[in-house]
Amino acid sequence: MSTATAKTPTTATPGIDPGDEQSTGTRQGDGELLQLVTFVVGTEEFAIPILSVREINRMMQITRVPQSPEFIEGVINLRGKIIPVMDLRKRFGDQALEDTSDSRIIVVEVSNRVIGFTVDRVNEVLRVDAGIVEPPPSLVTGVDSEYVQGVGKLEDRLLILLDLERLFSDEDLDQLEQTANAASA
Amino acid sequence: MGAQDMDPSLLQDFLTESSELIEKLDVDLVTLESVAEGDEQKELLNSIFRALHTIKGAASFLGLTTLITFAHAAEDALNRMRKGEIEVTSEVMDVLLRSVDVLRSMLEEINASEEITPAPDDLLGQLHALVGNDAPAKPDTEKQTQAQPEVKLEEGQTKLELPPQKVDLLDFMVSDLEEVVGQLTQCIEQARVTATRQDAAQHLAELAENTYKTGYFFELDDMSKVAKALEAVADHLADVPDDVLGEVLVRVAAAQTLIKQQTEALCKSIALSWPLDTFLQRLEQVTTGNPLDKDVTGKHNNDAAQVLVLDGVLKAPVASSTEGSNESTTPADQARAAAKKGGDAPTARGSVGEQTIRVEVHRLESLLNLVGRLVLNKNRVLGMTRKVREHDLPYEVEEQFAAAASDLDQLTGELQLGVMRTRMQPLAKLFDRYPRVIRDIARMTDKKIDLEIAGKETEVDKSVLEVLADPLVHILRNSADHGVETPDIRTAAGKPETGTIRLTAEHQGSHVRVEIADNGKGLHREMLGKKAVERGLVTPEQLAMLSDEEVFRFIFAPGFSTAEKVSDLSGRGVGMDVVRTNIAKINGAINISSAKGKGTTIEILIPLTVAIMPAMMVGVGRHLYAIPLTSITEIVRPEQNMVYTVSGQPVMRLRDTVLPLLNMRRILQESGDEPKNKFAVMIAVGQQRAGLVVDRLIGQQEVVIKPLDDRYTQGGPFSGATIREDGDVSLILDVIQLIRQAQTPERAAA
Repeated sequence: MSTATAKTPTTATPGIDPGDEQSTGTRQGDGELLQLVTFVVGTEEFAIPILSVREINRMMQITRVPQSPEFIEGVINLRGKIIPVMDLRKRFGDQALEDTSDSRIIVVEVSNRVIGFTVDRVNEVLRVDAGIVEPPPSLVTGVDSEYVQGVGKLEDRLLILLDLERLFSDEDLDQLEQTANAASA
Repeated sequence: MGAQDMDPSLLQDFLTESSELIEKLDVDLVTLESVAEGDEQKELLNSIFRALHTIKGAASFLGLTTLITFAHAAEDALNRMRKGEIEVTSEVMDVLLRSVDVLRSMLEEINASEEITPAPDDLLGQLHALVGNDAPAKPDTEKQTQAQPEVKLEEGQTKLELPPQKVDLLDFMVSDLEEVVGQLTQCIEQARVTATRQDAAQHLAELAENTYKTGYFFELDDMSKVAKALEAVADHLADVPDDVLGEVLVRVAAAQTLIKQQTEALCKSIALSWPLDTFLQRLEQVTTGNPLDKDVTGKHNNDAAQVLVLDGVLKAPVASSTEGSNESTTPADQARAAAKKGGDAPTARGSVGEQTIRVEVHRLESLLNLVGRLVLNKNRVLGMTRKVREHDLPYEVEEQFAAAASDLDQLTGELQLGVMRTRMQPLAKLFDRYPRVIRDIARMTDKKIDLEIAGKETEVDKSVLEVLADPLVHILRNSADHGVETPDIRTAAGKPETGTIRLTAEHQGSHVRVEIADNGKGLHREMLGKKAVERGLVTPEQLAMLSDEEVFRFIFAPGFSTAEKVSDLSGRGVGMDVVRTNIAKINGAINISSAKGKGTTIEILIPLTVAIMPAMMVGVGRHLYAIPLTSITEIVRPEQNMVYTVSGQPVMRLRDTVLPLLNMRRILQESGDEPKNKFAVMIAVGQQRAGLVVDRLIGQQEVVIKPLDDRYTQGGPFSGATIREDGDVSLILDVIQLIRQAQTPERAAA
């Protein structure tokens, strides 16, 4: 099963100007610099590496796919390609929230798969020193810590760095398949 | 010498051409074994020889020494067969077929930029044994080293400084060139006659190209120039006016003389150079149809040697050696040329230059993609015509819009068809491989099997061809290995000793039907059933209720094998599973029928194309789904009195048949109020039929199939997705999976 590897340039996002912080781009601090996109789901603020983001889109019509995992909202038409969209709120076990005008679909490419996920709001593109990221304290968030790579401490707030590979790993799916196979065998 | 340091595009051309030739070699060799001695056999041998020769020639151009040395060994063996010195026997064919396999793997290695593995020694040994020569090539190099000191260089001669791997080839190339010289004579004769001039032009072009490659390889600049000039002649030959034709041909003969001289010199590792300017310029002049000055023409009495002197290429005294070249007109030589003509000129070359070009597949893919998007946009425009009607626009505007939209519809349709056609390929591309497969199995299992092929000219989309490749091999292997019995069993059963497998293909509406039928022992219902119960696929009670075909279908279950022993050929139980999944991938269907002792027939139905298809859009709940139109037999509004429940499964009586119904609302997990009147879309895949109960019918539409291949969205009864005219996504229902659900009701209910 080949996953799509089409290379589309990451499109600029409404509300975010990547050029803005490009200016500080060459600075090499003490540690490694992380470039992150931050967004809000529920009451938490999350961050993922900007390089894994292919594009950020306004909410669009999502077509439900019956018999797919519950946290999959459906599929969208991304310029002629069909990609799945995950509901991060459901994935984290939260209540599904209503779509608002701030809702976005972030499309990422992880291990050769192109997947979208819905978030309540996209905040900004940040450049932080890798040093501020600490391993996740257990029980600090409502999110299952298995998807958390670390926690970034900013002056005024906390960022949860998501481990996308884990998030889209097929463990859950394998379980689902097993149950399905057991049912059909 | 590795493949890395070569011009990649040249290399690619070589690989493409050689792979095709190797396919052809395979086919020809297997056919060769089955034809009786005579003209047909001779023709085949010639065609095989030529194919191998072409590969060798191209390889030498690229300096692929390992491959050339091996190809040459094989070519030697073939040459002796051609001369009737070796008989065509199964053992000889084994050696030759193996040689083709070795060549193929060498090409694969080149393709993967790997070092070429030299041919296995035992195979080389076998080849040499065939030729009756234990150590070829080597003595020649020795001869050369001995001969070299004696050479005295004259004016216009240069000693060739060649790397050792080129020296090894010197001898091969000299014999090639000698052949070229011989054939040129015949070519000139052909060109004199208007009727065969076209053939001569093509023949000449090939010879010139061959010579040019050799010249380039050994850095024989002047001979390359002559070869280039001959290529130009070949290009124009058909258009040369009769009054200058003589001038052209005498210069071709002169060129032949030069090539002959160089060939002789090449034996002594000498490169010749000549003052060619006048000769080439005059040749070009006459080739382009412009007569020469009076004082140049006619002086040569149509003697090539004289021409060379006249054009200042050779000095008069040297004429003695050019005189020698005229021996090509001696009776003996003519006879030789004529004999070659019999073998070489007509046959395979076929009609004059096929009007084709090679196009990279990805360009066609992207073209098809664009057409797909165009179809979507056309659908949107057509959708708008309906909306336009609802707005009160002036009649003319509405009319014009509708006309434009309908034109667009038609043009898009034609464009789509055109692009599709460029992707169509004959099934022969696959079918031609199979005689070899069957032959090998027959040899290994001591069976006698005839493979009859019909309809291999049937064309299908390239992607369909690719998907079909593995399944067909698996089915054929199974038929040959498990189906057809050994001669003694067959005789005992009162059947002819030789088993037959028939492979047929034909168009059937928008589908292609491929059938593989053998007259072997057939499938054993009891044995398959027992195995299925053992593997927990069915309960014994369920088994009793299944039809024969349903029991036979178990052979497509993963890991299902009834073979008592696992052989090299089949019986590992993976094959038939591949068959089912591959065919299902392209919306195809498989039917299987078998009679014990009489044989098994497997029928495969595949859509002509996999990218765009007509579909019926239906509404279930709030969503729209697409059903492939080709699988729909009819659509009915079920009346209450037509629907029953049989052991928990809703069924419908339609005329005199009873068909299972699938409630699409339940399968697609739709909730909400159900409409009062529903529709039953009757679908059929092969012999199996079922009805899908949907809420609404939307209408027919061309849909572009997009894969739904992420793991998150797999598993449901969908074969893909498509983009509707409003830009949203609709899922395409997987008819095969749904029918299977209908056949096994307990699963549908789960």
